[in-house]
Formats: sequence, C-alpha cells, structure tokens
Amino acid sequence: MNQKIKRKKSLWRRMQENRKILAAESTVLPLLLGIVIFICWETQILHGILHTDTFTLPLPSRIANIMGDNVNKIMTNVWATVFVALIGLAAGSLLGYVIAVIAALFPKWGSSGVTIVAAFNAIPIVALAPVMTNWTKGVSEDANTRSMVAKILVVMIVCMANMSINAYRGLTEVQPFSEELMQSLVAGKKEVLVKLRIPNSIPYIFTALKVAVPSSVISALVSEYFAEYIIGVGRQIRENIVLAQYSTAWAYIVAACLIGIIMYAVTMIAENILLKKHA
Amino acid sequence: MKKLRNAKWLPMLVWIGGMIALWEVGALVVASTKRTPENVLPHLYQIIAAIFDNKPVNGGQTAIMVVLGSAGKTILRAFYGFAAGTILGFMLALIMKLSRIAEKLIFPYLMLVQMIPILGMAPIILSITGDINKSRIVIAAILTFYPVATNTLAGFNAVEHEKHELMHSYAASKFTVYTKVLIPYSVPYFFTGLKISAPMAITASILVDTLQGDGGLGSMLSQSLKHGMSIYVFWLIVFFSAFIGIFSSKLMGMIEKLFSPQKRKKRGNGV
Amino acid sequence: MSEIIERTEKKEVEISIKELGMTFQDNQGNDVRALTDVNLDIYKGEFISLLGPSGCGKTTLLRMIADLLEPADGEVRIGGRTPREVRLEQKFGIVFQNAVLFYWRTVQKNIELPLEVMKFSKEECKARSCEMLEMVGLTNFAKSYPNQLSGGMQQRVNIARAFSIHPEILLMDEPFSSLDEFTKEKLHEDLLRIWKQTNKTVIFVTHNIAEAVFLSDRVCVFSPHPGRLSAVVEVDLPRPRTIEMKETPEFNELVKKVRGSFEGGSV
Repeated sequence: MNQKIKRKKSLWRRMQENRKILAAESTVLPLLLGIVIFICWETQILHGILHTDTFTLPLPSRIANIMGDNVNKIMTNVWATVFVALIGLAAGSLLGYVIAVIAALFPKWGSSGVTIVAAFNAIPIVALAPVMTNWTKGVSEDANTRSMVAKILVVMIVCMANMSINAYRGLTEVQPFSEELMQSLVAGKKEVLVKLRIPNSIPYIFTALKVAVPSSVISALVSEYFAEYIIGVGRQIRENIVLAQYSTAWAYIVAACLIGIIMYAVTMIAENILLKKHA
Repeated sequence: MKKLRNAKWLPMLVWIGGMIALWEVGALVVASTKRTPENVLPHLYQIIAAIFDNKPVNGGQTAIMVVLGSAGKTILRAFYGFAAGTILGFMLALIMKLSRIAEKLIFPYLMLVQMIPILGMAPIILSITGDINKSRIVIAAILTFYPVATNTLAGFNAVEHEKHELMHSYAASKFTVYTKVLIPYSVPYFFTGLKISAPMAITASILVDTLQGDGGLGSMLSQSLKHGMSIYVFWLIVFFSAFIGIFSSKLMGMIEKLFSPQKRKKRGNGV
Repeated sequence: MSEIIERTEKKEVEISIKELGMTFQDNQGNDVRALTDVNLDIYKGEFISLLGPSGCGKTTLLRMIADLLEPADGEVRIGGRTPREVRLEQKFGIVFQNAVLFYWRTVQKNIELPLEVMKFSKEECKARSCEMLEMVGLTNFAKSYPNQLSGGMQQRVNIARAFSIHPEILLMDEPFSSLDEFTKEKLHEDLLRIWKQTNKTVIFVTHNIAEAVFLSDRVCVFSPHPGRLSAVVEVDLPRPRTIEMKETPEFNELVKKVRGSFEGGSV
C-alpha cells in the first residue's frame, strides 16, 4: 500500500481561520481608524478636507476646555434632555405595550388599530412638536413645566408607535402550533397571554427599544427647538450657533453624542443580561 | 349584512371614524373654553374649509397655495438627499460585503452614526457647509444611508449557504454571484431600509427649513405659528407633512412591488 | 476494512477515491473524525448510492467529490482530474435537499440559471430549458414562480436545472427526503427515466434503504463512529426498475443484506 496522502494547511490559512485573531480584528481595526480621525482633527488636516476653519469646527482640545469650564451649565441642560427622553421613552413604551396587549386580545380589531398607531411613527417630529406645544398651553403657569410636558408628549407618541408594532408582532407571532397546544390544555385567554405571548414578546421588546432609545433622544432634541422654554442640549446647540459661539455649540454636540451612545450601550447591556436565557 | 361585518376593511374604517369623532369632540370642548380655539384644536371641517378658501394669506397666495408651493420645495430637496443617501448606502453595503476588513472598520462607526442624534446636529452641519441646500442634502443623505446600508448588508448576509454552494459548483465568478444572487436577494431588505428612511429624509428637510427661512414647509410652519399668517396654514402644514410622511413610506412599498413580480402572484395548486 | 468489488466485464473507472478522510472541529474546538480511509471506484454511467444514517460521512464524501470541501487526507480523482478542475470545467450537476430556487425568477429562468452563468447564448438557454421542462413534465409551469409550486414540483425544477448543463456527473444529496411517499415514488420513476435517457454517472446520497436499493446499481453502506465505508452491495435487479419489484423476494433479500452490512448503533 502507498504511504498515507496527507495534507497540511498553510500558516496563512490557519491564521485566517483562527477565531481569536478574527475577534481581535473586530476591535483593533476600528479603534485604529478612530485614532487616525482624531489626530487628523487635532492637527487640522480634517479642516482642509472639509474646507472649514477652526472657528466653525474647533479643535478637540478647545472643546474639551469649554466643557470643563462649563460643567454645571452643561449638566443642567443634559439632564433636561435626558429627563424628557427617559420619561417619554418609559411612558410611551409602556403605553405602546399595553395597546399591543389589548390588540392581541381582540385580534380582529387590534390588527388595524396597531397599524394606525404605528402610522404615528411616520409623522415627522417637526409636525408633532408644535402641535404638542400648542395643546399644552394651559397645562401650567410655569413655562418650563409646560415645555417639559409638551416635549415628553412628543417622545411618548414616537416611542408608543414603535413599541406597539413590535410588541404586537411579539405577542402574535408565536411558534406554529403553540396556540393549538395551549388550546388543547384548555388554557384561558388570559393564561395564554401570560404564559405564551408575553414571554415570546420579550426579544421583540428589545428590538423596539434599540430603535426607540435613539429615537427618544432625537425626538427630545428636536422638540426642544419648538418648546417655549430655552433649555436642553438640542436647543443650546441652536442658540449657540445663532450667537456664533461655535465652541460652546460643539460642546453641546459632544454632550448629545455621548447621551445617545451611553443610552444605547445601557440598552445593549440590559439586553445581554436579560436575554441570557434565550438562545 | 354578515358580509359587511366580516369585511377586512371594516375595523380600519371604524378606527378612523372613531378618531375623527374624538377630534371633533375635543374641538367642541376647546371651542367652549378658549378665546381662539383654532389655535389649539380647530374643527376638522374648518381645516378642510381652509383648503378651499380663496382669501390670500401671504402676499397674494391662498392658504393651500402656500402649503403646496413650499411643500414642493421641501420635498424636492429631501429627494436629492434621499437619492444620494440611497446610492451611498447601497455602495457601502456592497463594499462591506466584498471586503471583510472594510466591514470590520466601518461597522462600529455605522452604529455610532445611528446612536448620534443627527437631526439634533442639523444647525452645525448648516454652519459647516455654509449653504442651506447643501446642508439639507447632507443631512437627508446621512439619515438615509444608515438604514439602507445596514438593511442591504443584512440582505446580502441572509443568502443561504446552499445558494453559494450552487454557484460554486457552476464555477461562477464573484461578479456573477453578486449580480445573479446577492443583489436580487437583497431587494426586499433594501426596500425595508427605504421605507424607514423616506419619512426621515422629509422630516430632516422640514427641520432644516425651520433653521433658515427661505420658503420651505418648515419656515412656513414657524411663520404661521408666530401668527405671521393664518393659523390654518399651520394646521394644513401639520396634516400635510403627516400625510407625506406616511405616503412616502407606502410609495416605497409600491415601488418594491414593481421590482418583485413574484409578490404579485398568488399560490396555485399542483403536485 | 473497505471492500472493492471486482467486476468481470471491463468498465471504465470514472471516479477513483483513495484513502479519503475528513476531520471537523466541534463547538469545543475538538477534532471530530467525520470520515476515515475511504477507498472506492465509481464507474462511468453507473447509478451508485451512498447510504447511512446522518453523521456517518456520506454527505461529506459527496461534497469532497464536488469540490465543496477539501479533504484532510487522501485524494479524489475524476477521469484523472482533481475535483477542482472538474468544477471549473462546469461538469457537475448538484441537486440539494432543498430546491434552492431563486424566488425572483420564473421556473424557466431558474432552469436557465447555470446556462447563463456559463455564458450560453439566449437561444441556446431557451432551447435547453424547454427541453428540460418537457423532460420533467413542467412545460405548463414555465412562467410560474417557485412560491406557486408544491415541494415535489420544486424538486423537479431542481433536477431539471442540474441536468440542463449536461453534466458529466450528477450529485444528489437526499433530494427526496422531505417529500411524501407518493410524490417520492413518482419522482423515482422520473429520475430513472431521465437517467436512462441521458446516461450520466449519478451519485445519490440517502438514508432510506429501500430507496437506495430501488434506484441503484450499487449501494455503498456507511457506518458512524468514525464515519467509514463498511460495505458495497451490488444490486443486480433488472432494469428498467418498476414499483412492483419492491414486492419481490429478491428485493427484500437485498434490503436485508444492506441492513446487515451496517456496522454501527444509532448515531
């Protein structure tokens, strides 16, 4: 018999298929790119590319300085924005979920009801915000409270639309035959809801949240433009640009980005912890 | 009569009827308690009447002319940004599929773009570009290219490995695999991205209008709010923008049907 | 140990498989021996089955012949060429368990897909696809879309597509296992008729003993742990094969013999 015909994979192939190297690539490469962009910014190469000056696009070091000097004021505005976003997110998502549950219990009426609620999503925020501001004119004597309520309403509507459609899908798109299974066990509608539909909808809730969280931040920021009281990160960006105080405006822009990123990261971490049971 | 009860569109009709009734009740309540009810919640028929009103509200134009004229401008500008973002998004998805390194480099930044409130940064983009039309296009493009890129890429990655193996067995070139398999397969995903971004592009355009008044829907909106002209212009614009927002999404759905002949046909019988 | 059956008449060896082996990595990163030391000669124009439960390497072997997988040990030669060379010459027809049809193309366009890839002219594509549609009896459904067809019909399109390029070798990976018994029997008849017409070499993977015996000239029995070829059983039933043959004692003897050659417990 001839000797065994053996094969060996080349070193390059083995490197390409190594799991650890692949994982490292995912983090190292983008990090390098980020550092490159940062250096271009600080050394003003970026300004050359975008044809701007350091007045409209201040150097990172300058922005950091301004942020350091005005921490308190910035935090007040950040808190105003985050407060609106969070409350609107919570209230809207809860309401959206309740609507979805009701719709799932009465499927014939519910399905079109949910479609209508979801249609609110396509209404531009710029149309919603002024209407809400108008409607809350009589809510309180204090302009700050009035504006707060109006902004929260806007965020609520957007989040409600989002959560209702996703939750509805989560409550109704169960695995084939699981409904029949519950029926054969003579489970009541309420039991089916609690034991089958609600647990099934949890991943869908997170899908909705991943969109709703950035949406709530954007809605909060945009509705600040139309509110009476001048407060909030978004409003500050605009006010400072109008006054040509670009560095301050950029400080608020960085704040806005950080808000968006942190809230999203928190959502992802929460998802990871809570969904560990699901495969 | 039974047929009517079971008609598919009945629930939807009832809901819409219910909402109209609710609005009218609200308008009645407001009318009895406020001095200028139309500022808060006018009757629907009043709004509809304003459409046909011939009274000039702004430099010789009637209410409806103001709305439609400025709407045209806004939509056109949104469209340029939308088109640019669509093309960019598609190319980005292609590049990310073709090159693993590109995908690893770009993906986290793509996520970053989604997390950052771009709309909130509209004013700064305006000052960097200096020109309001350019900034409008840039913002609409940024808002569009993220959903288009991520959804299209998901479409490319969703192709089952058996399809790849089939093409491998035909010794098909990479170009052939992309043109005959990956791109057609991604069409539904691509349109999902478009359905999401179309309303957003319009929102962005309207928002930029409000920053610098040169006649778009947004600037008419703020003008009418500050009582520069009849308050009905405001309401008309609100309804109109809601309408275009919803309609633009539906329009993408209709265009998708054009490209997907298999969706139009129903399942038949056979062995 | 594997056996190579000697034949009295001189038949041309099309595919020669020597000491073939394959290793995979499981989830923990350990090596799993999917296939060991397979030696087999496949003759030109024969219908040969690879039979065994899941996990004994028969699909792995098929994929190595088709150049969809690279062996860890050993070699496959097809008419002296490597699988890669044969694939690049576009001489393989593959039929997967799923029909893998493109939902955006009509049935006819699906059949024409490989011809388009191979840059045949439009007229040639049309001519061949019409020929194939007639062969599988789907001429009336040429302009239909895959989602309008039943499972059995989709598999027929799958087969038609594989044959459309006039391949040297037809590789079929459990093509009928997801279909019901009645559809299966009909498709068996269709497949044998087409095979007789076109005279190709067919390698057919299945886990169904009766199916393997009914269709093939020879049945290769695979056993698991580790995946290996335990026996090659010759099926000397006369052709053309009919459904009635399934009732004969000869048929049952062969089924018994094949079952007896299986050397493993359940997988």
